[in-house]
Amino acid sequence: MNQRLRTRTGTVPRTRPRARTYVRALIAVLAVSGVAAATGCSSKPPMADGKPGPDGKFVIGYSQSNNAEPYRAQVNKQLEYYVKKYPNLKLLPISDANANSAQQISQVQNFIKKKVDVLLISPNEPDPLTGAVQRACQAHIPVVVLDRDVKTNCYTSFIGGDNYKIGKLAGERAAKELPHGGNVAELRGILSDKPQIDRHNGFMAGIKKNRKIKVVRQREAKWLRPNATQIMQQWLRNGTKIDLVYGHNDDMAIGAQLAAKGMHKDKSIKFIGTDGLAIDGGGIRAVQQGDLLETFAYPTGAKEAARTVEDIVRKKKVKKHQALDTQPVTKGNAEEVYKKNDFSHKGG
Amino acid sequence: MTDTKTPAPSGDTPLPDLAADDENAGLRARVRRVLPVLGSMQGYIGLVVVVLLGIVTQGDTFLTQANFTDAIGAFASRGILAVGVTLVILTAGIDLSVGSVMGMASMASAMMIFQNDMPVWQIVPLCMLIGAAFGLINGIGTAWLKIQSFVMTLAMLSIARGLDKQLSNNQATPTQLRKGADLTPHAEQFQHLGTPGFNVFEGLHGGIYFPVLAFFGVVIVFHLLLSRTTFGRHVYAVGGNPTAARLSGINVTFVIIAVFTLSGLLAGFAGPIDAAYSASADPLAGTSYELDAIAAAVIGGASLAGGRGSIIGTGIGALILTLLDNVLGLNDVSPNWQLVIKGVIVVFAVVLQRPDLMRSLRRRLRGGSAGPSGSAGSNGPGGSAGSAGSSGSSGPASGGAKEAASA
Repeated sequence: MNQRLRTRTGTVPRTRPRARTYVRALIAVLAVSGVAAATGCSSKPPMADGKPGPDGKFVIGYSQSNNAEPYRAQVNKQLEYYVKKYPNLKLLPISDANANSAQQISQVQNFIKKKVDVLLISPNEPDPLTGAVQRACQAHIPVVVLDRDVKTNCYTSFIGGDNYKIGKLAGERAAKELPHGGNVAELRGILSDKPQIDRHNGFMAGIKKNRKIKVVRQREAKWLRPNATQIMQQWLRNGTKIDLVYGHNDDMAIGAQLAAKGMHKDKSIKFIGTDGLAIDGGGIRAVQQGDLLETFAYPTGAKEAARTVEDIVRKKKVKKHQALDTQPVTKGNAEEVYKKNDFSHKGG
Repeated sequence: MTDTKTPAPSGDTPLPDLAADDENAGLRARVRRVLPVLGSMQGYIGLVVVVLLGIVTQGDTFLTQANFTDAIGAFASRGILAVGVTLVILTAGIDLSVGSVMGMASMASAMMIFQNDMPVWQIVPLCMLIGAAFGLINGIGTAWLKIQSFVMTLAMLSIARGLDKQLSNNQATPTQLRKGADLTPHAEQFQHLGTPGFNVFEGLHGGIYFPVLAFFGVVIVFHLLLSRTTFGRHVYAVGGNPTAARLSGINVTFVIIAVFTLSGLLAGFAGPIDAAYSASADPLAGTSYELDAIAAAVIGGASLAGGRGSIIGTGIGALILTLLDNVLGLNDVSPNWQLVIKGVIVVFAVVLQRPDLMRSLRRRLRGGSAGPSGSAGSNGPGGSAGSAGSSGSSGPASGGAKEAASA
């Protein structure tokens, strides 16, 4: 939203002061990269200085890429919950970049200026945020990267799920569901998104287990439920025979299911989603109601992140790369998984 | 007053002085008489082209009632927004906040059903009130505080989205409230607002899909409002020339506040429809819908300079956009090309809708140099060209803006 806002107002011609700012920014960037090269920072991430603030607490700044994604809202909620379990940690208000990398860079810089003890970040995009992570690293702030990666080694720990593996599990589940072969359709997230690419490649690898399965339709539905509904309606009106739909997230799988249900074709088509959020109207509930065949809970990593931060301030060794496992959600275990991941009644 | 201020659908061709002193005069006069008719037909031509494209490529599927229901239903909320935006555009303003306000109303409706189990007959009017309140503030800011409507509604876009996200705690809210395994009666009712497969008036041949009914209903009601009432004439007058309108005794402030309030009201009405369509309200619902709404208005012949346009035209613009989407989707055209084609169509539509431009084109094609006798009325080429540029770029922006990745 804000991105658009900027381009719209950016058409106002204000060339001269702008140009001067650009030159200054360029000089600053050159200077910083010169320092970076001189200190050779990028290989050795710093440890915490081990001194808590005046209230005896270590301060954490968390830079979130986009609060409006249900998954990320869940991450925030869980992180607030888990950080409270450590009395020596204090989480500053989580910053929301509204899916805007430029905004996230400035928010990270604010955390650096505030001299947080540990920086947590879920980068909006890898390339633009790499520099921000490096600057935190140069300021001797340990960085924990959550969910999406950056293109530098200058962080202390990365925690994230394995989207390729999730896609592969979904593909294998589809292959198992259609033992005699069948037609599969895939609803894809935004094509340039890394999780989309990984889930897609994983899925294609997974369904190879059953050579009789054909992928008859694939289209980008941009992670959005109404888009998926519209696309599914077009496929079905077209006379495309579809036995199973894989949605790269639960919203798209549910959107397709709504379309099929509207045409009374939902009983002959199976739907597989991904994310498995424990929220009303989320994937786990959809599995319980029989709308989805199965979903794969994508871990938030909040619990691991809080523990990693605690280890960092206690100067314990932390693993550089922590890959989180997914949990398949079926009708059998749905209630149990929901209860385990439900944070709506736990204090934030 | 020139006749650009009369509520003729996209027609503004003041008959120029008939310099009839050569043998072609009779023919030219006839051409001039036909031109206004052609001008008002050009919106329909775009629709005909899209429909033909659908028939040629996907005849059996495209020409079914079910497919039209799908296509119009998917765009209905944006089509309703477009009607509201057209009202504002006619007064030479713009309403960028409609998408956010709709999102707000969509979230409010989902919360009313899911958390309070309220009946539909309460939810819809309440949402319209919420929307109207946002619109009223837009109107007051524009008419009284003299903030440019672009700026005022841009701010409101941000405010409404922020409130929406705050209200929902950034979480999507479902509409399917269950008691045990079954939906509650009110949640069952709510589905009839737009969940695919649920109709209203089911006694009549299986019923009508509500979003389709709502879209056409809003178009007809607001067409009548603009073409048959004093208020409608005032709207055109304010857009055509606010000073002249004021001098002729029209309460310009009231008209401007009223059009913004109506635009908000319609955005509020679109909210529950949008929530029912997905059986859920997303905190980002309606993002960039304002651009589709403006595109529909512009394709339908509205000039961003004000005073020119019609609700029927906007309705046709919305139909062109959604049927084009549908035809391209049925043919499995990649979404990237869909964006490009949408942008190109907007530019072409705007060119087609400008009789002055068409005339000079024709003159140039004929090789004649008759001089600038038949230029359009109050809308200079500058204003219209501006509208073409901004709406052309709205195509690509509208699709790519919502970067709601799930993980």
